[in-house]
Amino acid sequence: MITEQGRILELLLSGAFICQVTDEEAWRYLKSAQNSDKMESQLNVLNRTLATAADGDVFFAAYQVLTESERKVLGNQFQEISSNLLPLVEWLLLVQQAAGNDVPVTQGSAIRLNELQSTIEDTPAYAEQLEKISRYRLFGSTSTTLDGQVKQVFKRLTDMGYLIKPNQEKQIYLATGKIEYLYEVIRFIDETEALSLSEQAEQAVQQGSLL
Amino acid sequence: MNQNLRQSGVKFLNALSRHADLIMQVYLTGSLDERDHSPKVIDNLIQLGVLWRPDEEVGLRLKNAVRSLLESSLHDERNRQLDANIGSALASLKTLAQHYKEALAHSRYTESEAHLSDLTEHVYGLAESLSNSVRILFGRINNEFGYVASIDAKIRENELAQAQVSELLKQLEMFRFEELSELAGNNRELRHLLIVTLQHSFSKVTQELSIVQARLLALLGRFREFRGRTRLLKGFMLHMEQKPDFTPGNYTKLTNVPLLFNQAGSLIAPAAVDVKRVEHESDLQQLVGTIKALNRSHQQEQPERAAQKINVEEQSAVVFEEDKLKQAVEGYFCDVISTGKRITALEYLTENDLDFDAEAWIYQVIGGYQGLTLEEQTYFAIDTTGDSHPIYSGNYIIEDVELGLR
Repeated sequence: MITEQGRILELLLSGAFICQVTDEEAWRYLKSAQNSDKMESQLNVLNRTLATAADGDVFFAAYQVLTESERKVLGNQFQEISSNLLPLVEWLLLVQQAAGNDVPVTQGSAIRLNELQSTIEDTPAYAEQLEKISRYRLFGSTSTTLDGQVKQVFKRLTDMGYLIKPNQEKQIYLATGKIEYLYEVIRFIDETEALSLSEQAEQAVQQGSLL
Repeated sequence: MNQNLRQSGVKFLNALSRHADLIMQVYLTGSLDERDHSPKVIDNLIQLGVLWRPDEEVGLRLKNAVRSLLESSLHDERNRQLDANIGSALASLKTLAQHYKEALAHSRYTESEAHLSDLTEHVYGLAESLSNSVRILFGRINNEFGYVASIDAKIRENELAQAQVSELLKQLEMFRFEELSELAGNNRELRHLLIVTLQHSFSKVTQELSIVQARLLALLGRFREFRGRTRLLKGFMLHMEQKPDFTPGNYTKLTNVPLLFNQAGSLIAPAAVDVKRVEHESDLQQLVGTIKALNRSHQQEQPERAAQKINVEEQSAVVFEEDKLKQAVEGYFCDVISTGKRITALEYLTENDLDFDAEAWIYQVIGGYQGLTLEEQTYFAIDTTGDSHPIYSGNYIIEDVELGLR
């Protein structure tokens, strides 16, 4: 029998993101300072440290000291994250637009696959967008049908930990804390590269309304 | 006077119920299509003050009083108007209280009664309108301004609600209970109305309004957060459209890698089996038991399984020879037809030296007869000879059948 502590340690060491949606018990455990100290000392043995993102909504394991080999791992990861950004952002916007209530996908958002699919089916612009998204290397769909594309995209997102499917029999997905992590990454790039993305968007909206 | 008022009130309400369809249609669509209804009805409603024409050019609309009556009883969310005119309500309360006191002082009791009942009406009206305003605000908060679609519109709605709340709070400051208390003096009725009732509703409303304000601020924060995220995503898309070759700098090369991009690689691999642990023995045995032994020996060349030539020929048709018994029965039938004599089956059997079992023969004869079509059966007469069973009643044993032409 593995203890709760051991179970969470295992989750962290296997590279999982722990949030309230994916594993509420583990998340609550780590929220307590006493427990997270315990976890920290155990992670330190393996040159790892407990890291949080999105205002403590997400926990994951980070390296404590970076040497050449760790940097190599991180470099590869970063390449992957930055090349996946565009497809993920396009998907987030598609879901937000198709949902019709203008609310962005955040941790805990429920996405009803059937409803989403029928909205996309009824709107050719969304269908086109979906086809484009599903062709990205990240999703790698070769399907010509809309159904296949949607399924493949959601399957990949679930595999990567952005979504979970709480009930295997129902086509309802929940967004995990990794989505929050994604927002934070974009925000970080925005600030670091001084892209002023929000201002760009606002200007585009204003210009659009003038035209 | 009172009787007249009552009669015209009843007339007005009756008109409302008689034209309920029309009124609801105007309420829902905003204005009335005058072609659909008779001018008489419309004139009547205008006279009663249910409909009015704001301008010569535009259509007829519902009077505000009727509209707000419907809105408050239907709990309609579109109702954004809050009645915040507390100053004038308070002024009228004070005036009425003074009337009442004056009437009492001059011992005009009937008049004072009328003033008191007016005052009561006004006080309760004010209390109701206050709690109604709070209810409307809560209704809008609870469905998060669901009646408008975009986040920007929600933010605007939220700002409107906040302005209304602060206006309402400002108006509530006009309640000066020391003044009211002075006005009420030591009159019990007045104290009850002006101090107890109003104070009660005042404290309730101020309490609820502070909750409303907090909720509105929290909601506004959330909406702004949503808007920020949407803008971030859209901005990123725009940026990628304008500069498709954009790649962020590799932050992992920095001396201090941001924690965000410092995600340790996965480490855990499954543990291996320890066969020397005694307590695992039974589990391991079970696991071993589930292993399927697949002994696929390397198969030698098998000449008998090699491909072989198959000759495809037409299969010889099988012809069934007709049953001799059946033929004999047909012969028997033909014999009866050709001779025209009645002859029993057993007689025919012995006459023609047929080599069949007698019982089988009789069965076949009966079967042959029943196998004929109804039309053919009418040509023959069949008669059975036999006895009832000696023991079991209802059973009849046929010993012979006789066949003849009808």
